[in-house]
Amino acid sequence: MLTLSGITRRYGDATALDGLSFTVPDDAYVSLLGASGSGKTTLLRLIAGFEEPDAGQIILDGVRLDGQPPHRRDIGFVFQNFALFPHLTVEENVAFGLKYRESNAVASAAEVAERTQAALELVGLEGFGHRGVGEISGGQRQRVALARTLVTEPRIVLLDEPLGALDANLRDRMCDELRAIRERLKVSFLHVTGSETEALTMGDTVAVLAGGRIVQSSGSRALFEAPLNASAAKHLNAWNILSGTVEKDKLRTNAGILPVPGSLSDGQSAQIALRFDRIDVSDAAQVPEGRHHFEARFLTGEFNGPTALSFFRTADGALVQVVDHLSSPRLPRLEEGRTYALHYRPEEVLLFEGAEG
Amino acid sequence: MDVRMLRPALALYTGAFLAFLYGPMIVLAILSFQGPNGGPQFPIQEWSTYWYRHLLGLTETSRVSQLPVGDSLLRSLALAFMTTVVSVVLGTMSAEAFRTRFRGSGPVFYLVILGMMVPGVLVGLGMALLSNVLGIERAWWGTAFVLHVVYTYPFAFLVMLAIFNRFDRSVEEASLSLGVSPAQTFRRVTFPIIFPGVLSAALFSFTLSYDEFSRTLFTAGRDLTLPLSIYGTFSVEIYPNLFAFGVLTTLFSFTLLVIYGLLMKRFTGTRAGRFSGQEAVA
Repeated sequence: MLTLSGITRRYGDATALDGLSFTVPDDAYVSLLGASGSGKTTLLRLIAGFEEPDAGQIILDGVRLDGQPPHRRDIGFVFQNFALFPHLTVEENVAFGLKYRESNAVASAAEVAERTQAALELVGLEGFGHRGVGEISGGQRQRVALARTLVTEPRIVLLDEPLGALDANLRDRMCDELRAIRERLKVSFLHVTGSETEALTMGDTVAVLAGGRIVQSSGSRALFEAPLNASAAKHLNAWNILSGTVEKDKLRTNAGILPVPGSLSDGQSAQIALRFDRIDVSDAAQVPEGRHHFEARFLTGEFNGPTALSFFRTADGALVQVVDHLSSPRLPRLEEGRTYALHYRPEEVLLFEGAEG
Repeated sequence: MDVRMLRPALALYTGAFLAFLYGPMIVLAILSFQGPNGGPQFPIQEWSTYWYRHLLGLTETSRVSQLPVGDSLLRSLALAFMTTVVSVVLGTMSAEAFRTRFRGSGPVFYLVILGMMVPGVLVGLGMALLSNVLGIERAWWGTAFVLHVVYTYPFAFLVMLAIFNRFDRSVEEASLSLGVSPAQTFRRVTFPIIFPGVLSAALFSFTLSYDEFSRTLFTAGRDLTLPLSIYGTFSVEIYPNLFAFGVLTTLFSFTLLVIYGLLMKRFTGTRAGRFSGQEAVA
């Protein structure tokens, strides 16, 4: 189990990580979702020991890691650019750690060869061992990087946007394979990504990094359906967030004055979140009974294949997105520039107290 | 300018450039095959390899004394070799240090570069005076050697700095994360990748030291290096044996360049081709 507590890392005046605490359980696939510049790569580099935190502790299986040099931490790292050794063949890349590591180096050439072959088989690269790393495709390089790390049997594997350099088709396939390989090895993976779909697909647990802290860490379904705060909701790219101040148990937002669940004191800041696919659209006069609504002008639609995204702008300038699924369309034909009623069931609203962060 | 005119113009320019580069060398090479009675100018009296044999001491005694270059050649080679080793090691180490922008790295950079900027005669003279004051005897392997390092080290440093600028640090981090110690990482990852740069730095250092003149003039002491002893023979009279020697040293330099080229090809060539046909195994 990897435990981070109170990790702070500053670069000059900028604080990348601000008292972050987080746990990666044993035998789990954890994905870490964060926008670019959120400090997610910094976090991995701190765990791997390429950088040291300004404050806080990193503990792996009860042993303090921070302060130890990277080569004594026994942590695997898969780089975004793969960082293969350009002067070695695929096989030599994979065998590298076994042959040259400081402790537990494998002296027997036969054993090195055997374990290298096993690692290459694990990632589906049998027979590619003699190739140079310049002679294989991006997806294959990714596999070499993975095999090279896994062959040394690290206690935890850190993956820094491992699919970022791959094209979309390959990315989907590698997603499945990464999960399958991890399940076979029973080692924890901490996978950092900026893509919410990737994070939700990969992780048994998804942690959201924002403002230098983990704002939520939970199962992917729980996170998607019930984010605990506005920061987490924002990263999922599936929630409209409207912020405002409370007036007589209602929230004054730039989408109008909307009822909120629960009672809040007047003048308090709060935000409500509405999922893209839980909003229906109708003419202003035809809002069904029992649903809250506000009005907004239809801007434009965006067709993505299985889903269609519609953009609306309220009179006060709030941008609202609505998702329609092609298999079960529920939106009427929309006319650009016309104003519609956007309505939803009262219980679909999530309420977050506090101002916009 | 018209594109059709540009190509011939550039060709002409390149031709002139090559002519000026190789012209003197070719004239020298032709004159080195002068007959025993000919002088160091045209016309060629008769074609022969007399002066080459004269140079190697294979001729009957002649009115021209043998060129006194044997010892000084060995000295120059030894000096260039020593200088190369020290400069390349120092250059690589300091370029490695400059990868982390340590405090004061700016001034230190200019101090290092100064070594190749200051006029050679001045440093040479200064070194000679300094060694007099300190009572150190001047020698090619001592005072001159130090100055050769001061002169060539900045070149090696700049070459290695450029190499490290393009160096992807993550391969070193990858090695560390595999449990390989920093020393092994340097040996197994960093050094093989920067090796072409090290070769270039070595070539620079060797060539610069091998024909260094002004710094050596005041600091070499009694035993002369090759450039100094050749200069010494000028002041008496010039015979074609000097040309023969010039041709031989040029050939030696070419050999060095060829070795450099082959090594570069060996270490920078992609592995494409070397392992082609391995798909069959899969």
